[in-house]
Amino acid sequence: MEIIQGLLIIALAFWMVLDQQGFVITTWFPAIIGMIAGLIMGDMTTAMIIAGTFQLMALGVANIGGSSVPNYGLATLVGIYVAIRTTHDVEHAKAIALAVGVPVGMLGIQLDVLGKLLNSYVSHAAQKALNLGKFKKMERIFWLGPLIFGLTTALPTALCVLFGDKLVRLILDVVPKWFTDGLSIAGSMLPVVGIALLLQFMPVKKYLTMLLIGFVISAYLNLPILGIAILGFAFAYYYFTQNMKKTPATAGAADADALGEGDDFDE
Amino acid sequence: MNNTEKTNDAVTKKDIRKAAIRYMFMACNTFNYENQQGPAVVYGLSKILRKIYKKDEDYKASLNNHFNYFNTTTWMANLLLGASVAMEEKDGIKSKDAVQAFKTGMMGPLAGIGDTLVWVLYPTIMGSIAGYMGLQGNPTGAIIWLLLNVFFFFFRVKLFELGHTSGLKLITALGDKLNVFTEAASIMGLTVIGALIPSVVKMNIPIEFKTGKVALPIQTDILDKIMPALLPAVLTFVVYKLIASKKFSVTQIIFMVIGLALVCSFFGILGV
Repeated sequence: MEIIQGLLIIALAFWMVLDQQGFVITTWFPAIIGMIAGLIMGDMTTAMIIAGTFQLMALGVANIGGSSVPNYGLATLVGIYVAIRTTHDVEHAKAIALAVGVPVGMLGIQLDVLGKLLNSYVSHAAQKALNLGKFKKMERIFWLGPLIFGLTTALPTALCVLFGDKLVRLILDVVPKWFTDGLSIAGSMLPVVGIALLLQFMPVKKYLTMLLIGFVISAYLNLPILGIAILGFAFAYYYFTQNMKKTPATAGAADADALGEGDDFDE
Repeated sequence: MNNTEKTNDAVTKKDIRKAAIRYMFMACNTFNYENQQGPAVVYGLSKILRKIYKKDEDYKASLNNHFNYFNTTTWMANLLLGASVAMEEKDGIKSKDAVQAFKTGMMGPLAGIGDTLVWVLYPTIMGSIAGYMGLQGNPTGAIIWLLLNVFFFFFRVKLFELGHTSGLKLITALGDKLNVFTEAASIMGLTVIGALIPSVVKMNIPIEFKTGKVALPIQTDILDKIMPALLPAVLTFVVYKLIASKKFSVTQIIFMVIGLALVCSFFGILGV
């Protein structure tokens, strides 16, 4: 049973990057990866608590335009595997997942860069095959690309599956309580990085009103996120319907608007 | 809707769907720093272009053209590639330069809109809902997200077909509407982000002031009285400014936060 679980986790690691860069169905976002890992490991609650923690840390950390970012999906996956193997206490599991997951997720950046470098050779080889008229061979060469990217996440996961829990047990016997507590605290603070990063991409100054409304309703009235999302949708719907009416009549004004918006995004 | 298809009986709707799925699978899986998504475009279109170009030389010339640098939001690329296929179908290898100019011209604007919608707003809204439910051990949000992704998968196949049938005109016309849509999505996104700050960033100071017999817990009796979620709001502002200053990389800032948490945990300034 443990062997099958380990193999499934490694297979998920391999698939996750291919899907994120291709079909975008299971993605490598922590929430979905955590849900699947929870099914594999047979402990949905622990898996989702870890996945939720990483998901909130990962908000806004988008790999746009081929940039390399910490792989929070990989962090979630190895974190969940090692934590569930090591402990049954949820708070403890969260601290372990952070201790193992964060460094592995960071390592993901380096491996991603390596994968992109290696793929230059794949591209060259495929184009060479094309010009020699070997069309079937070209098709086969292309498959090296997904193979390389799959390995960038499957290899570190395999190492964690093989040695992770033993190593972590060893470390946890030595590590003091303030340290694991500190990691849990870091887990509750780190979402701030994703949020702050998101705000850089968004027209914050233009729509500061919305940011404040969301904050007040959540902090003072404790409305759940889904309710606030619906409220946000209501504002968005109003804006959309109002402006779609205007667009055909005042095409010039819409253009000027678009330029102004571009400025906001740069800030 | 079927005008283009009737003029050329070689390319069927099935071919179009197959090309869409081939491209969507490969998308960034052959990504490299030279021609980025170029090889994936070649892989995606290689079967359908073989149907259009019977002569090996034309086929090679067309694929070599598609090997050129290409990079945009992969969801949006479906529209562009659908339209490119339509151009090559109509004019053959003569359209090579036009296809190249069209692809390079449109990939920038489409990436601007597409990255904001697909990689920033969509994962933020779904991620905050799914992540927040996840913290309570609940996978419902994640399942909804997965189902939406399945829906968008078929939607993207449709986009390829749409690009093929309606072609260039549509893409330029869509540009204006998408701007309004992006703005509206930003409004929703920022409302959600505002709510995220107090609900997901948690900081708690367990220290108490003691004067004689009276204990005054800092967190509940002072900070929360000033404003709930005061510390998370301050931290958000500080990190926002740190990132905006561009003096530190995101990775460095992540390690700074972890370091701060460890130090505060050691001195008992912050508690779990």
